[in-house]
Amino acid sequence: MNELIPLIVIIPLICALLLNLLHGKNRISRIMALIVAIIIPIIALVASNGLHFFGGHAPLTFNPSLLESLPASLLSSRVILFHPAITYSLAGLEKIFIFILGIVIFLALFTYFNKYKKVSGPYLFLIFMGTAAVSAMLLSDDIFNMYIFFEIAALTQTGIILASNTEGSTETALKYMILGSIGGPILLLGIGFVLGVIGSVNITDIVYAIHTGYVNPYSPALIIGFAMIFFGWLYASGLPPFNTIKSLIYSKGTPESSAILTTFSVLTMVAFGLVMFRIFGYLSVYKITIMLFSLLAMVLGVSMAVVQTDYRKMLGFLAVGELGFIAIGFGIGTKLSMTAGLFQAFNDIVITSLLFIGFGIVYYLTGTSDTRKLGGLISLNPKVSIMILLGGLALAGVPPFNGFQSKLMLVQSALNAGFPEIAIIIVLVSIVVFMTFVKAFHSIYLKPKPKDLGFVHKEVPSLAIVSIAILLIICLVIGLDPNLITYSFGQYLGGLI
Amino acid sequence: MIMDVQLASLFTSGALIVIGLYAAIFLDNIIKKIIGLSFIEEGVNLFLVALGYKLGGIVPIFLPGMTKSSFYANSAYPLPQALVLTSIVIGASTLAVMLALVMVLYKKHHTLSTKAMLGEDHE
Amino acid sequence: MIEYVIMVIIVLGAIITLMQKDLLKAAVVSGITGLCVAFLYEILLAPDVALTQAIVGAAIVPAFIALAVKKTKRTDD
Repeated sequence: MNELIPLIVIIPLICALLLNLLHGKNRISRIMALIVAIIIPIIALVASNGLHFFGGHAPLTFNPSLLESLPASLLSSRVILFHPAITYSLAGLEKIFIFILGIVIFLALFTYFNKYKKVSGPYLFLIFMGTAAVSAMLLSDDIFNMYIFFEIAALTQTGIILASNTEGSTETALKYMILGSIGGPILLLGIGFVLGVIGSVNITDIVYAIHTGYVNPYSPALIIGFAMIFFGWLYASGLPPFNTIKSLIYSKGTPESSAILTTFSVLTMVAFGLVMFRIFGYLSVYKITIMLFSLLAMVLGVSMAVVQTDYRKMLGFLAVGELGFIAIGFGIGTKLSMTAGLFQAFNDIVITSLLFIGFGIVYYLTGTSDTRKLGGLISLNPKVSIMILLGGLALAGVPPFNGFQSKLMLVQSALNAGFPEIAIIIVLVSIVVFMTFVKAFHSIYLKPKPKDLGFVHKEVPSLAIVSIAILLIICLVIGLDPNLITYSFGQYLGGLI
Repeated sequence: MIMDVQLASLFTSGALIVIGLYAAIFLDNIIKKIIGLSFIEEGVNLFLVALGYKLGGIVPIFLPGMTKSSFYANSAYPLPQALVLTSIVIGASTLAVMLALVMVLYKKHHTLSTKAMLGEDHE
Repeated sequence: MIEYVIMVIIVLGAIITLMQKDLLKAAVVSGITGLCVAFLYEILLAPDVALTQAIVGAAIVPAFIALAVKKTKRTDD
C-alpha cells in the first residue's frame, strides 16, 4: 500500500480547483502553479515502485490470514487471484513519463507567465486537470477508470483550444468535440464487449483470463471489442482518419498550449497502446491493422507538411506524423520494437514541445505565421535560431541527439523482425522530415529580409529561451546516453513478453 | 416475435447507435447532429446495462432478511450499472459544452448549417 | 409484453426526432425517448440507473437543447 501513488493524481486535481477559485489574484496563482508543477515530477521520482489498491481491498492471495478462513472449494479456484478494487501501479516506465510530463508543464507555465501580466484561473484549471487525467491514465490498471480520465482529458483539451482565442479556434473546438463524442462512446462499447466476454474490468485479470484459456481467445466478441477500442485509440492519438483535426488543433493554439496538447496526446496514445498490447497482443489482426495505420500516419503527415507555407500548420502535421513512428513500434510487437516505440514517444514529447515554443517566439516577434513574408531573422538573435535549428535536427534524427537513437532502434527492430520494407519507409520519411524542416528554417531565418517586414515586439522573451535551452539539454543528454531511459522500458516490457 | 428481454435490448441499443451515427455524420443542422450524438451515448449505456441482466433475477440491492448465497445466486451483475451511472453524467456535460459552443458560433455566423458554420464538410 | 412495446417506441421516437423541422419539437420527442429508455432500465433490473436516466435524459438534456434552440434558430431550413 503505497500512499504516494494516488497523490500524483490528487495533488494536481486539488490545485486545479483552488486555482479556479483564486482567479484574479495573480501572485498567489503563479506561485502555487509553479510549486505544484515542480512537485509532480518530484513525487514521481521519489515514490517507490508498487501497487496501490483503493479501499485497501487487495486480492485474497495478498492476505494469508483471511485466506485460511475460506472454504477449500474457493481456495483451489482462480478467484483468489482476482483484483476486487481499482489498482494503480507505479513502475519505472510510469515514473519516466510522469517526470517528463511535469517538466513540460513547468516550462510551458514558465513561458505563459512571462508573456502575460494577468494569468487566467480557468486556463490553469484546465491545464492541471489535464495533467491529473493523463497521469491517472498511465498509472491505472483498470480499463474503465482509464476511460473516465480519457473523457476528462478530451474535455480539457477542448477547453485549452478555446482559451487560446486565435482565429477559428471556436470552430475547431466544436469539430473536435463532435468527433470526440463519436470516438468516446465507441471506445466504451469496445470496453463493454470485453466486459461481456470476461466479466471484469481489471486489466491484469483480463490478461490472465485470456492467456490461461478461461475464455476463448479468438471469440468474435473479443475481436469486435478490439476493433472498437482500436477506433477509440485512433481518435485519442490523432492517427488517420483523425490526423487533419489533430494537426488543426496544434496549429490553432498558442505555443505553450500546443506544447501541452501534444504532450497529452502522446501520453494518452502510450497508455492505451500499452493496454491494447497487453490484452490483444496475440492476435495477428492486431499487428496488421496497427502497422497499416501507422504507415499511413507517417506518410500522410509528412506529405501534407511539405506543401504548407504556414509554419504552424507545417509543425502540426509533422507532430502528427511523428506519432506514426511510435505506433509502428507498437505494431511490430517484439520487445526491441516496443522499447523503441516508447523511447520515440519520450523523445517526441521533448522535441515537439521545444519546436512549438521556439516557433512561438517567431510568432511573438513578427505577428505573422506565413513563411513567404518572413526572412532574415537570424540577425535578430542568433542564439535562439541555432537552438531551434538543433531542435529540428533532433526531430529529423541527426546524431548525436535523441531522435537519432530512437529511430535507429526502430530501424533495427524492423529489420530484426523481418520487415525490411518498413525500415526503408522509416528512413525515407525521416529524410523528408529533415528536408521540410530545413526549408522552413531557411525561409524564416536565412533568406534575406523582405522590406515590408514589421516587428510587433523587438525583444525575445528571456524565459522562453531558458525553456528551449533546458529541453535542448535534455535532448543532448538522452542522445548521448539512451540507456538511462531504455533500461526501465526494457525491464517493464520484460515482464509482459 | 418472442425473444428474451436481454437480446431485444441489445438490438434496441444497436438500432439507437446506428440512428445516432447516421444523424451525426449525414445531417446538416448542427442541433440535430448533437441530438444524434446523445442517442449514440444512450445506445451505448443501454448496451452496458443489458449485459448485466439475469433472467428471473432480483435487483442487486441487499435488503435485510436475505441470505448472502441466495443474493449472489439471483441478483443481476451490478458492475455495468456503476459504469453507466458515470457515463450518463459525462454524456450530459459534454452535451452542455457543445450546445454552449453552438450558441457562441451562431452569434458569429447566423446560421445553423454545418457546411456554412464549420467551413468544410467533415465526418 | 410491455417491454417490446417500449422498445418499439424508443426506435420510432429516435427516428421521428430526427425528421422534425421544428427543433423545439425535436427536443421534446428526444425527451420522450429518454424517458422510455429509463423505463427499460427498470425492466432490466437497474433501478438507480433508471432514476439517473429519467432525470438526465428526460428533463435535463431536453431543457439544454430547448435553451440552445431559443437562443439560435427555431426551424431547420
